Amino acid sequence: MNTGNSGNMRRPDGAALVIAAILAGIAVVIFWQTSLMRVPPVQQRVGPTVFPYVVATGLVFLAIGTAVSAFRNGFPARSKDDFRPIVWIVGGLVAQILLLSTAGFSIATGVLFGFTAKGFGRGPLWKTIPAGAVFAFIVWFIFAKGLQLSLPTGVLERLLTTGSFQ
Amino acid sequence: MSTFDLLAQGLIAALQWQNLLYALIGVTLGTAVGVLPGIGPALTVALLLPVTYKLDPAGSLIMFAGIYYGGMYGGSTTSILLNTPGESASIVTALEGNKMARQGRGGPALATAAIGSFIAGLLATIGLAFIAPWVVRFALSFGPADYFALMVLAFVTVSAAFGDSALRGLTALFIGLGLGLIGIDLQTGQTRLAFGIPDLLDGIEVTTLAVALFAIGETLKTSSDPAQINTQFTAIKGSVWMTLEDWRRSWASWLRGTVIGFPIGAMPAGGADVASFLSYSAEKSFSKKPEEFGHGAIEGVAGPEAANNASAAGTLVPLLTLGLPTTATAAIMLAGFQQFGLQPGPLLFTNNAPLVWALIASLLVANLMLLVLNLPLIGVWVRLLTIPKPWLYGGILVFATLGTLGANGAMSTGFGPVRISFELVLLLAFGVLGYILRRFDYPIAPVVVGLILGPMAEQQLRRALAISQGDVGILLASPVSMVLYAAAAAAIIIPLIMRLRGKGAVLGQLASDED
Amino acid sequence: MNKLLVAALITGALSAPAFAADYSIVAPAGPGGGWDQTARTMQEALTTEGISGNVQVTNVPGAGGTIGLAQFVNQENGNPNALIVGGYVMVGAILTNVSPVSLADVTPIARLTGEAVGVVVPASSDIQTMDDLVARLKDNTGAVSWAGGSAGGADHITAGLIAKAIGVDPTQVNYIAYSGGGEALAAILGGQVTVGVSGVSEFASQIEAGELRLLAVSTDTRVPGFDAPTLQEAGVDTAVQNWRMIAAAPGLTDEQVAAITADIKAMAESDTWQTALETRGWVDTYLDGEAFEAQLEADTSATEAILRDIGLVE
Repeated sequence: MNTGNSGNMRRPDGAALVIAAILAGIAVVIFWQTSLMRVPPVQQRVGPTVFPYVVATGLVFLAIGTAVSAFRNGFPARSKDDFRPIVWIVGGLVAQILLLSTAGFSIATGVLFGFTAKGFGRGPLWKTIPAGAVFAFIVWFIFAKGLQLSLPTGVLERLLTTGSFQ
Repeated sequence: MSTFDLLAQGLIAALQWQNLLYALIGVTLGTAVGVLPGIGPALTVALLLPVTYKLDPAGSLIMFAGIYYGGMYGGSTTSILLNTPGESASIVTALEGNKMARQGRGGPALATAAIGSFIAGLLATIGLAFIAPWVVRFALSFGPADYFALMVLAFVTVSAAFGDSALRGLTALFIGLGLGLIGIDLQTGQTRLAFGIPDLLDGIEVTTLAVALFAIGETLKTSSDPAQINTQFTAIKGSVWMTLEDWRRSWASWLRGTVIGFPIGAMPAGGADVASFLSYSAEKSFSKKPEEFGHGAIEGVAGPEAANNASAAGTLVPLLTLGLPTTATAAIMLAGFQQFGLQPGPLLFTNNAPLVWALIASLLVANLMLLVLNLPLIGVWVRLLTIPKPWLYGGILVFATLGTLGANGAMSTGFGPVRISFELVLLLAFGVLGYILRRFDYPIAPVVVGLILGPMAEQQLRRALAISQGDVGILLASPVSMVLYAAAAAAIIIPLIMRLRGKGAVLGQLASDED
Repeated sequence: MNKLLVAALITGALSAPAFAADYSIVAPAGPGGGWDQTARTMQEALTTEGISGNVQVTNVPGAGGTIGLAQFVNQENGNPNALIVGGYVMVGAILTNVSPVSLADVTPIARLTGEAVGVVVPASSDIQTMDDLVARLKDNTGAVSWAGGSAGGADHITAGLIAKAIGVDPTQVNYIAYSGGGEALAAILGGQVTVGVSGVSEFASQIEAGELRLLAVSTDTRVPGFDAPTLQEAGVDTAVQNWRMIAAAPGLTDEQVAAITADIKAMAESDTWQTALETRGWVDTYLDGEAFEAQLEADTSATEAILRDIGLVE
C-alpha cells in the first residue's frame, strides 16, 4: 500500500465506509441471534448454527475488505442520481401496501401506477391514478375472476362485479 | 411395440386438428401469462391448469404441455428486454440479454433464446422418450454428498463468472447466503433469524427477491439516473434477425446448454436455475471472446436459455418414470395428472402408454408451435422498448406486485383495519437494496444465487453428515463427487495458470507497485 | 394474443352463476398443495351440489399453515361464512413454530379425509419386516437413517413414535428431512437412507411396481389396497393418522356452528365429493361433533408429548 505517500491520499469514500459498517452490523446480528438458538440433541454434529457462523465470519472479512477499499478509493465513480423520482416510486409502493386491505387492489395499484408515472415525470396525478386504477382493475378481473388468483378485493371490485357495495 | 412406433402413434394423436388447437391455445396462454414480470412458470402453470380440466385427458395434457413450455419461454422475453426476470431460471439470461437489448440487439437475443429453447426442448424431449430410464438411474445415484460437491462446483464457477471486482461479487453472494439463513431450519424445525416475525418462518421467497432486485431495483435506478432517464433505446439496430456470426456463435452454446440442462433438470435436487448458472459459467469459459461477457455476449443468452428449457423437459423424466415431482411446477403437474386418476410412477408407461406418448408427442408439437409463434412476434416484442418509460415502468410495477401478492398474499400483520402484506414490504425493501447495489456497482445476480444455492448446499452437507453419523469421509466417498471436486479445482486453477502465462508481465508490474 | 386471453377468461368468468357469496375457504398453503386441493375440491362439491351458491378459495401459504391460521383468527372472528382447511401437520407446526394462535382459537367443524403414514424400505434392502427394522433400531438407533418430510411433521412424528414404542431413545432417531415428497422418495429409491416414512399414497405406485417394500402403515386399521400390517399388528404399539379437517371462525353461536356442520356433512355425503375422493385416492374419515373434538384434543396432547421426546420442543 502507498499509505506513506501523501500525494496519493484522498478522502476515504464515506458511503463505502457506511456499507462496511452495515455488513459488520449484519454479521454481529447473525452471531448474536445464532448464539441464542437452542440446538436439538441429535443434531449437534453439524447443527443449525454452523452455517450462520460461517456466513457471519465471511461477512466480517468482507466488511474489513470494504473498509480497506473505501480508504483506497477502490469503488468506481458514481453517477449523480436524482433522488426525487425514488421518493415518488417508493411512496407509491408504500401507499399501495397501506391501501390494499381497505381500498382493494385496483385503487391501491392505481395509486402505485400514478406515483410511478409521476416519478418518471408524467402527470398530473388526477389523470394517471384513475387511468392506473382502470388498468389495474382489468388485470384484477382477468387474474382474480378468470384465473382464481387470490387478490385483495375492495369496494371498486365488489361494485363492478356484483353491483353492490358489500 | 418399439419406442418409435409408440412415438409415431403419439404424434398422430397430437397432430389431430383439435389437439393442435389446444396446443396453440396452451402456448399462447402460457406465453402471455409467463411474459408478465413477477409471474414465473410455476405460478403460470398453477393458474392455468384448471383451464385444462374441462377437456378430455389427451386434450388437457396437450394444452398443458403448451402452457408449460410457453410459460418457460415467456419469462426470458422480459428478462432480455426489460432486465426484469420473473423467476430465478432467467436471471442469467438478463445478464447478457439485456446488455444486447440496450445495444439494439434485442431481436437477435430473443431469436437465439427462442431457437435455443426449441433445440433444447426438442433434444431433451427426444431424450425423455428414449433414454429416460438411464437418466433417472443416474439422477437417483446422486446422494447428499454428491449434491454438496455439485453445489461447491456451482459456487466456484459462478462466483468466478460474476463481475469484475471479487470483493463486490463476494459481498453480493454473502448477502444472498445471509438471506438464505432466514426461516425454519428444515432438519431441526428450529427458527433462525426470523426476529419473531411469522411471515419470515418460511424464509425469503426466491421469486420475491429476484423480482424486487431486478424489476423494482431497475425501475428505481432508471428513474433516478440522469444518464438512463433520457436515453431512448433504439429497438432495432442492424437486423432484427440473427446474423451469420450470431448463428456461428450460438449453435454450440445451444448444444452445451442442453447437455448441462437435461440431466440437472432430471435430478431430484437440481433445477432449471442451477442448470442456467452452470451453463453461463461454461459459456464464459468456452467462449473465444470472454471479454464480451458482461457487455452483451450472445453465448451468455443462448446457453442458459437452452439449459433452462432442457431442464424443464428433464424435470419430466423423474415425474413420468417414477412419479417424483422435483420442482414446484412438477408438483402442480402431478396434481393435474391425478385429476384424471392417472398416477405417474414406474407403471405409467405400461398402464397408460398411449396417453404418455401423446403427451411426449405434444411436447414436441408445443415446442415447434412456440417457435413458429414467437419468431414472427420478436419484431412486436422489441417494440416493448418503445413504450414511454412512465407507462412501461408503471406497468412493470403493477405486474411485479400482482405476482408477489398472487403467490404469497397473506396479510397477517397490520394495525386496526389496515392489514399489511408482509411480502410486499419485503419486495419494497429488496427493491431499495437492488437500487443501492446498482448505485455502488455491485453485481445483482450473486445475491439470488446465494439465496438459492446456500440453503441447498447446507441441507445437503448436513444430510450427508447425518447419514454417515458425522464421518467426513462420506464427502469424498463416491466417484461422482471426486469428479465434481476435480472440476471445481480445475475451474480455479486453469484461469490462474492462463493468467500467469498470458499476463505475466502485467502481474509483475502490479506486484512491483505493491511495495 | 392478449385479446385471445382476455376473451377466453371473460367467457370463463361470466359463465359462472352469479349467486350471493356463501362460503369463503382459506387454504393455508400455496396453489397445488394438499390443502389447496382439499379447498378447491370442497368448492366444487359445495357449488355442484347446490349447498352453497358461490365459494371463494383464498391461498395463504406459510409455515405449516400457521400463517394462514393466524390471519384467519385475526380477521374472521364471528363471520359465519368463513372456513379454513387444516390438518394434522398444523398441530405440530403450531408447537414447533411457537405460533401465537392454535386450533383452540378456531371452531373445528369436521375431519374430512385421513391418510396413513407408510414405513418403506427399498426392494434391495435386507430389512424384510417391521421386526427386522425394530431389531436394527434396538441394535444401533443412530445407524438407521429415516427419510421423510420436514422436521416435526407427521412423518417425523411417526418415526419418533415408533422409537418410543419399542423403547429406544427418540432423541437418537437419525431423521433426515427433505423438503418435498419427491426428494425424499428419490433418496429412498436411490438407497441413500435406510428407511422412508411418508403418506402411503406417495409410495403407492412404487410399491405396486415392486421398487419399495411397505413394512407397515401407521393407522389403527389396515389401508385397503395395501398388503401391509398396521404398526400395532407388527408389534409396535402406536398409531397416527395424517388427517385433513375443516374449521370455522371463532366466536360463532351454537346455531351458526350447527348450520355449518350440516352443510359440511351434506357435502361430505354427496356424490361429487365421494367421486372426487375416489379419483384423488383420498380416504374418507369423516368425523364431526364431540367425537372430533375429543380426537383433536387427544392428538394435540400426544403430539406435544412426542415432539418433546424427540427434542424439537422444549
